[in-house]
Amino acid sequence: MRTWVWVFSVLVVYGFVLRISADQKARTERISGSAGDVLEDNPVGRLKVYIYELPSKYNKKLLQKDPRCLNHMFAAEIYMHRFLLSSPVRTLNPEEADWFYTPIYTTCDLTPTGLPLPFKSPRMMRSAVQLISSSRPYWNRTEGADHFFVVPHDFGACFHYQEEKAIERGILPLLQRATLVQTFGQRNHVCLNEGSITIPPYAPPQKMQAHLIPQETPRSIFVYFRGLFYDVNNDPEGGYYARGARAAVWENFKDNPLFDISTDHPTTYYEDMQRAIFCLCPLGWAPWSPRLVEAVVFGCIPVIIADDIVLPFADAIPWEEIGVFVAEEDVPNLDTILTSIPPEVILRKQRLLANPSMKRAMLFPQPAQAGDAFHQILNGLARKLPHDKTIYMKKHGPKILNWTAGPVGDLKPW
Amino acid sequence: MMGSMERSKKKVQLWKKAIFHFSLCFVMGFFTGFAPTGKASVFSNHFASSNISEPSSSKPIETLPQAANVNRSLIAQAPAAIPARPKQPENTEIEEEKEPKLTPRRLLIVVTPTSAKDQLRGVLLRKMANTLRLVAPPLLWIVVEPQTDSNQVSEILRKTGIMYRHLVFNKNFTDTEAEMDHQRNVALKHIEHHRLSGILHFAGLSNVYDLGFFDQLREIEVFGAWPMALLSANQKRVKIEGPVCDSSQVIGWHLRKMNNESDTRPPIHISSFGFNSSILWDPERWGRPSAVQKYSQNSMRFVKQVVLEDETKLKGIPPEDCSKIILWRLQLPRGTASN
Amino acid sequence: MKFSAWQQSYANKRSSSFRASSGPLDSSSDGSIKSASAIFWLILHGLCCLISLVLGFRFSRLVFFLLFSSPAANIYTAPFRSASELAQTLTLYSTPASTNIELPAANRTAGITASPNSRVVVGRHGIRIRPWPHPNPVEVMQAHRIIERVQKEQRLQFGVKHPRTVIVVTPTYVRTFQALHLTGVMHSLMNVPYDLVWIVVEAGGATNETASIIAKSGLRTFHVGFRQRMPNLWAERHRLEARMRLHALRIVREKKLDGIVMFADDSNMHSMELFDEIQNVKWVGALSVGILAHSSQTGEESSASVIPKEDEENRAVPVQGPACNSSNQLVGWHTFNSLPYVGKSATYIGDREIVLPRKLEWAGFVLNSQLLWKDAEDRPEWVKDLDTLDHADEDVETPLSLLKDVSLVEPLGSCGRQIMLWWLRVEARADSKFPPGWIIDPPLEITVPSKRTPWPDAPPELPSNEKAVTGVQEHTLKHSSKTQTSRSKRSS
Repeated sequence: MRTWVWVFSVLVVYGFVLRISADQKARTERISGSAGDVLEDNPVGRLKVYIYELPSKYNKKLLQKDPRCLNHMFAAEIYMHRFLLSSPVRTLNPEEADWFYTPIYTTCDLTPTGLPLPFKSPRMMRSAVQLISSSRPYWNRTEGADHFFVVPHDFGACFHYQEEKAIERGILPLLQRATLVQTFGQRNHVCLNEGSITIPPYAPPQKMQAHLIPQETPRSIFVYFRGLFYDVNNDPEGGYYARGARAAVWENFKDNPLFDISTDHPTTYYEDMQRAIFCLCPLGWAPWSPRLVEAVVFGCIPVIIADDIVLPFADAIPWEEIGVFVAEEDVPNLDTILTSIPPEVILRKQRLLANPSMKRAMLFPQPAQAGDAFHQILNGLARKLPHDKTIYMKKHGPKILNWTAGPVGDLKPW
Repeated sequence: MMGSMERSKKKVQLWKKAIFHFSLCFVMGFFTGFAPTGKASVFSNHFASSNISEPSSSKPIETLPQAANVNRSLIAQAPAAIPARPKQPENTEIEEEKEPKLTPRRLLIVVTPTSAKDQLRGVLLRKMANTLRLVAPPLLWIVVEPQTDSNQVSEILRKTGIMYRHLVFNKNFTDTEAEMDHQRNVALKHIEHHRLSGILHFAGLSNVYDLGFFDQLREIEVFGAWPMALLSANQKRVKIEGPVCDSSQVIGWHLRKMNNESDTRPPIHISSFGFNSSILWDPERWGRPSAVQKYSQNSMRFVKQVVLEDETKLKGIPPEDCSKIILWRLQLPRGTASN
Repeated sequence: MKFSAWQQSYANKRSSSFRASSGPLDSSSDGSIKSASAIFWLILHGLCCLISLVLGFRFSRLVFFLLFSSPAANIYTAPFRSASELAQTLTLYSTPASTNIELPAANRTAGITASPNSRVVVGRHGIRIRPWPHPNPVEVMQAHRIIERVQKEQRLQFGVKHPRTVIVVTPTYVRTFQALHLTGVMHSLMNVPYDLVWIVVEAGGATNETASIIAKSGLRTFHVGFRQRMPNLWAERHRLEARMRLHALRIVREKKLDGIVMFADDSNMHSMELFDEIQNVKWVGALSVGILAHSSQTGEESSASVIPKEDEENRAVPVQGPACNSSNQLVGWHTFNSLPYVGKSATYIGDREIVLPRKLEWAGFVLNSQLLWKDAEDRPEWVKDLDTLDHADEDVETPLSLLKDVSLVEPLGSCGRQIMLWWLRVEARADSKFPPGWIIDPPLEITVPSKRTPWPDAPPELPSNEKAVTGVQEHTLKHSSKTQTSRSKRSS
């Protein structure tokens, strides 16, 4: 008899406890499910960065020649420089520096139509490295292992916009020991060094801010995409661009009323993203896409179509929980995949997306704010400290870097 | 000795009981461990993904109207007190509870041209949106407007929550009717380009609908027509135009001004019919050579040809001899309201 | 690591159970203070139970972790992957026609595959197009359900937190324009996401005509008849409507309906934001009403009949409503300037002149229904009792008559700057007739046989070529295409 009283009372308590924990779950999910504390880290005091003095032809002159460089997707290289110049992590004493930064704007060389093409980048980079290695002892100390470079181009330091060519070239031999800060990220790819920091592409923060609409605006688009499906100019055959994934999106879903997809870029592009539930982020020439940044900022669940992509700050942001990943070969089933996600999961993703620290981590604002992409880069660099002892070269030991490797064209002076 | 025996017996009993309780609690705890937690851990993820079939647990905050008894007391003085009924299924709150049965419905494509010259555009757009919001999904509202700096239309549309496409075009017109024609063609081009499949209807901003209209619209296979009432301010006569039917078979048309010598034959009103949009982009399905369509600049002409060829495809709405008006049109002075 | 953790927790369990067992032993041997020790024992026992509960919990989590975490590093995406795989097995991709061209290209580039364990192959890819062309209708419905759920969640999160019931008062009467007007208002009300009570007061007694319209709303309605018939003169109509509204207020008072009273005439048009905005009212609120006044000479010469052009940005619409100073305080009222229309305004229904609004339309006011209750406790004393209005012979023009102090009215909608409702009085002539219930009986006369269906873009069959350019355009809807049509016909 007493046993049953016991069993009963335990059951009651048990049920009660479960109830409370369930309640708490519903209420606090937004906080406990946040992107994590890592995003809130403050890098100040955890690392010191020394900025090389370079002749202005490597940076400021280029920008003067073409101010459009401030607005394209690769502008992070410029804003990072500006940020570091006034950052408290900057040190003027190279002896106490943990990291060395070379301010060089390799993609600020635009075609008349404004496309950044990286054909001169390798020579420019090589020239800069030559300069710092001959003027200061720090490069030769580690052959660049405690240096970082911002290379936000399509395929990072491979410096070519076509993947096949980029792979053929490989990462610029001189940068093979350095840490690369790049937008490109794809697992097991020759253009992605182990230890590279993957960052979001640059998207203009003020412009996005100006297009914000109230959060209660009902989301009435199921799937949204604006952009190219076929790149007829650069890929007339078809099938290279976006590995055929974008073409497949168009061919399979243009007739679906739920898919608001088009090549026109409307003036309400940013507003439309804010009233969409899913935003497609398929790969283009490279796996990453500025849409990812826009989707996060505008609270639209990113549908990432890019096999083996490495997403920005993947060590700090739970992309798997925020976005939806669809394999490139599964594109024809996109509608089935998206409509079969339970609403509760969708709402959870939206709550996570509403987290301000995540939005901040995607942007390079002027002036910088705590927790923004600049700070996340520094956090990433700080997490690599202290440097492994093995990176330091033995005195009079053999050199590792081969200064004469790479295509002959790259060896020409800049 | 006996005491110690008893005591040890008692002790054993106590032990047994204690161990029983502890193991019971342990088992309880063990199973609790399988319940989901709120932490963002591997476990919670697993559970989040495994409760796919679980219906939404959150309760709707809105309650059903429960006025039955209140109303009854009122009947004495107001004979026509209407008992409350649950809202229509398209109202989100109630629907979720009685899911998961989903009956597929045909897509409705509602095309609305809007002109900036129309002074009532903003108001009438909101009004039309209020109506379309009540139509059961799927519905796609295609709103066309000339390119302007004003974002009035996009701002109104954005707040409606309706699935819409807002098309703009860059062409100047002096004549309103020509512009409306062009706007409709812009919408038809969009439908053709996207190969959207549904029942297409041109809804002018001055139209007022009975909600039953949209159910009828969904019944159309190829082509449908219905009578509409044209109401003009400060007039005595009410104009009714449209098909005359026997059941749902159209046997003729009742159109205005037939005997007026000075006028050509008036056409049926653009809002007076709807058709299957696949006619636009899949002519072969409707027994037409696809080449014809390519050269035709005007998709409407094509639709017309399809129907004229076989008028049995024409369905009169509502099926009871097309005798009920479910669409009214407010005729305001020219320049006030658009088509 | 995991194993050691498990060991540790096991050791914990062992030690704690040992401790637990020592409890009862000690207490039972120490028999002198029985009752106290019994309580102590009980507490200890309970405590130990709790400890074993917790231990069991930890243990199960550990087991769970060991069992399930290793196979997939990322369990989260698994269902989606599997869902897609499932769908894929049902699918046969039709390879694009260009497969044979692709193959050599793929071979050429196979040499530079990124990596063996990457799925990504560099080079040319096929464009996967599925054989079934159309969206699955069930999935379309599912997507709409998701959209509805998301929108509902948005309302819960960002919408009004504790919405009050909306009590809507609508005076109406059977006439040609009733269906058109009343349906419009009804659709607005049906979209209101809050509890709503609709009091429809019908002049000339409640009719089936009206009942059948409002029955379609599915809303909670009171349909009340009012003995008097709607008069033909505009001024009298306004007066009667005011009395009908007061009648509705009396129902609110009798039934003690709790909520916000708003006045929706059947000639009003509403923006849905209005219904959110009125939730902010405490006692009496005032809103701006856009006046879409017009003279309705349908047709030719009345080009500039709609007075000031409607353009929200420029506030060209005449507006009635609260006027605020720069510090958002009510200082007065915008009223419709009727001076230009002296002698030109409509006096009877169907008059071809402009229909002018009253000084302040009722539609621009909302009330807390408790103001009307007989014995509301915290009713402010600056409000008159509804009954006092009964005996007053004066014309109750606005709800302001209910107030002793008009300055306490709360201006809503960014202090009246935002227009969320409009007023458009259009009526047919009073002697206009319409088919009862809008059912056409007897059938219409056939004026065009079905074989000769006149199409909007049909080229004119009469050889009235000159007319086709100018006069006809007014009436045919498709004149621009018509020329094209006839041209293409000629060429073909």
